[in-house]
Amino acid sequence: MRNAARQTLRGWGFTAPALLWTLAFFIVPFLVMGAMSLATLDGRTLVWGIRFDNYAELAGKAYLWRAVVISVEITLTVTIVSVLLAYPLAWIIAFRVPQRWQRLALLLAILPFWTSYVVRSYAWLLVLAREGVVNQTLMGLGITSEPITIANTRFATVTGFVHFFVMLLTLTIYANLIQLSPNYRRAAMDLGANAFQTFVHVVLPLTLPGIITGAFLTFVLCIGDYVTPQILGGNTELTVPQVIMVQLGRRADFPLAAALAIVLMGIVTLAYLACARWLRLDRL
Amino acid sequence: MNGTVSKLRIALLGTAALGLLAAPAMAEEELNALVWCDHTDAALIEPFENEHGVKVNLREYEGTGAALAILEQSRPGDWDVLVIDGIDVFRAVESGLLAPLPDDALPTADFFPEVVMAENNTKDGVTYAVTEKFGYNTISYNSDKVDAADMEDLSAAWSEKYDGRISIYDYYLPVMGLAAIADGIKTGDITADSLPKIGTVLGDMRARAASVAGVVAAQTALATGEVDIVVGGGEWLTAVLAEEQPELTWTIPKQGAVRWSQSIGVLTDSEKKDLALEFVKYIVSPEGQARLATSACFWGMPANAKAGSVLTDAQKKVLRWDDQPDYLARTQLYPAPDTDLDGEMQDLWLETLQQ
Amino acid sequence: MTRLAPWLYFAAAYCFIYLPVGALVLFSFQEGGLPVPPFKGPSLKWYAQVLGDDDLMDALLNSVVVAIGSGAGAVGLGFLAAYGLARHTLPGSVVLRGLLIAPLTVSYLIVGLGLLIVINRLGLGLSLWTAGIGHVVINLPLCFAIIYASMGAQQQNAERAARDLGAGEAQVVLLVTAPMLMPAILAAFFLSVTLSWDEFIIAFLLTRFDVTLPVEIWSLLRSGLSPALNAIGSFVFLISVMIVLALELLVFGRRRA
Repeated sequence: MRNAARQTLRGWGFTAPALLWTLAFFIVPFLVMGAMSLATLDGRTLVWGIRFDNYAELAGKAYLWRAVVISVEITLTVTIVSVLLAYPLAWIIAFRVPQRWQRLALLLAILPFWTSYVVRSYAWLLVLAREGVVNQTLMGLGITSEPITIANTRFATVTGFVHFFVMLLTLTIYANLIQLSPNYRRAAMDLGANAFQTFVHVVLPLTLPGIITGAFLTFVLCIGDYVTPQILGGNTELTVPQVIMVQLGRRADFPLAAALAIVLMGIVTLAYLACARWLRLDRL
Repeated sequence: MNGTVSKLRIALLGTAALGLLAAPAMAEEELNALVWCDHTDAALIEPFENEHGVKVNLREYEGTGAALAILEQSRPGDWDVLVIDGIDVFRAVESGLLAPLPDDALPTADFFPEVVMAENNTKDGVTYAVTEKFGYNTISYNSDKVDAADMEDLSAAWSEKYDGRISIYDYYLPVMGLAAIADGIKTGDITADSLPKIGTVLGDMRARAASVAGVVAAQTALATGEVDIVVGGGEWLTAVLAEEQPELTWTIPKQGAVRWSQSIGVLTDSEKKDLALEFVKYIVSPEGQARLATSACFWGMPANAKAGSVLTDAQKKVLRWDDQPDYLARTQLYPAPDTDLDGEMQDLWLETLQQ
Repeated sequence: MTRLAPWLYFAAAYCFIYLPVGALVLFSFQEGGLPVPPFKGPSLKWYAQVLGDDDLMDALLNSVVVAIGSGAGAVGLGFLAAYGLARHTLPGSVVLRGLLIAPLTVSYLIVGLGLLIVINRLGLGLSLWTAGIGHVVINLPLCFAIIYASMGAQQQNAERAARDLGAGEAQVVLLVTAPMLMPAILAAFFLSVTLSWDEFIIAFLLTRFDVTLPVEIWSLLRSGLSPALNAIGSFVFLISVMIVLALELLVFGRRRA
């Protein structure tokens, strides 16, 4: 009995450092931020209290709640498009590329991940510019006669995001696909299913948890990102992170920034609940 | 495998240890300055560091509100020098953040008279800051693509003729100042009552604009032909592009334009006020002024006219040295809102952009 | 056609993935002063400028230190927690696991903002240390999850054997568990280093004078268009790729054999 108690104590000893770290530098700051969102700013003086002024402001000012709408729209678009583009690529690498080349193909698919993240958005700005590579190619191929405006639009923001998340999702979906035993597919085929039926009824359900986990991570990373929309989006529609950074950078309005962050957190929580039954976060 | 891994581990630890050793190696005296990005140019800072055997630590900030918050939340001794918008000096003085400067140490007699701005930099006869650099927020454009005559009229710059060919510089004060000037409101007279009219002009501008752009995005857009006009641009935007694309230029329209200026001062809570004053004196000396005027982040006119003897003719041509008397006469200072009006202006700005 | 379609898609996908990198690298060799078409011929002058920029090189070193330091911290804490939770029965272990994983579901911006508010309130200064603390917060869940997932019965038997031979718990952890889990530990470490090395928003909010490379690049990016930005981007990419390839060949590649 004493031995069991000592074992438990030791277990706590091993776990405590990480727990304390998470408490001190994540949970406590998060709670303080929550309290901050209920404070108000009188001139530049912070007044603590429990008031919902910031949330009322958020509901009342069009640019604030529109930022929430814009963020959700962009993030959903990016998540869906990225999954739809990455799945076939992961599939081709897993089932069409010869086994000995798969690792190389995968590595090449994610190599641009190691360009600096800030620089990557900037590179897209150059590519999508009016006289950039994309426009010159389109005109060279005779698809368009005039250069079209792509940079500084929502399309540019989405493109920048999709590029990043296709790499991430190709990796996670590939990892899922190769874990499938080929026997499942063979069995389905033997039972008379065609390739499409096999995919819909066998492969897709089996890889769904992996897809949802990847999509959820995409959602979290995308909705909280400041750099990509700031560089590529043309600043005519601001996302929640951009509005937060404006509040911090120009006004130092920490209470309103905190309230916006709490709303962001709320959206992520909703997304989490929506896909919770498939999520495998502790089995990445 | 084990051999490789442990070698790798040693290499990594070695790199980390080197990095840690390198950090505290600089034990010399340090000066902490909260600045705009033009002050981070090594060509400007290093001569001062070498002369005084000190290290100048620099931190950039974006808006005055944020800078004041940083200073108010800091401990005594955290900050020594502040660079701040000329029109915002009073906000820092009212908060008791700036220390008095000895008038006899400052060469304001050599300055362009219009930019001494005593009404901004002094209070009750005490000087708290000194102007160091100025320039214009006006219209930058591509002279190959647009009619230069149109650019002499603010309302023509964002007229239907240039629909979709315009980018708006992403800072609310100068652009709202331009909108006010276009509507006949003096920037110094802007109150909460003028905001609806400014909002209307801003809305027209926004409706014609392809983007609202920071410095790099605006430059990219101009250089690649994405847009032909940048409202709120000026020498600080097009100077770096002019060498390769001389067709990218700027003008001050007949209604005038907005003049920006930045001031530098010493902080009340500084524990190195003498060194901080030396830094201020260096920045407003002819040599410091010439380096600041042509610093890497953005160019601008030096406040001290004696810098003219240090700058090259080519540099002065880019800065349009000889046109300054005319420009100074025709331009108005940035709008100078107090904290409340500032908040309302930012709200209006964001409301208008998010359409 | 149906046989060809996958390969067309494959080729198109790689074009998309490499498009920005290609443009970035190409215009880093731009002879002219602007990184936009037309390409005016090769030049290395922007690389010379970037390598001679003390601020950039300091920032690069800072990034290396923060990445390795925070990576080591996250792996250390994550490993101990994974061992504690996998080998000992603790009350409410599901909740504890959830707590450790929680930062993974929160945007970096929120982690950074929360820490910034607390640090401001406490009147503590910002430095590379505070950025490092933030990076450990975001990387700890990943390290914990990766190492916890790889703790199986196989190591448990070896641990038990070591214990039967008289090894104390510390010896077991250091001499048996850690070496057996080395692939997972290394994977977690390199993932943490990569993420910290490239992280922007937390480093931006939580540093003051000494900044990391992404923050320095960001301030360059705010100050004007220049092929120097392409050069530093390409340079970082080149170094990263060499490290990734070296790891692939030397460390992770061996595992397959």
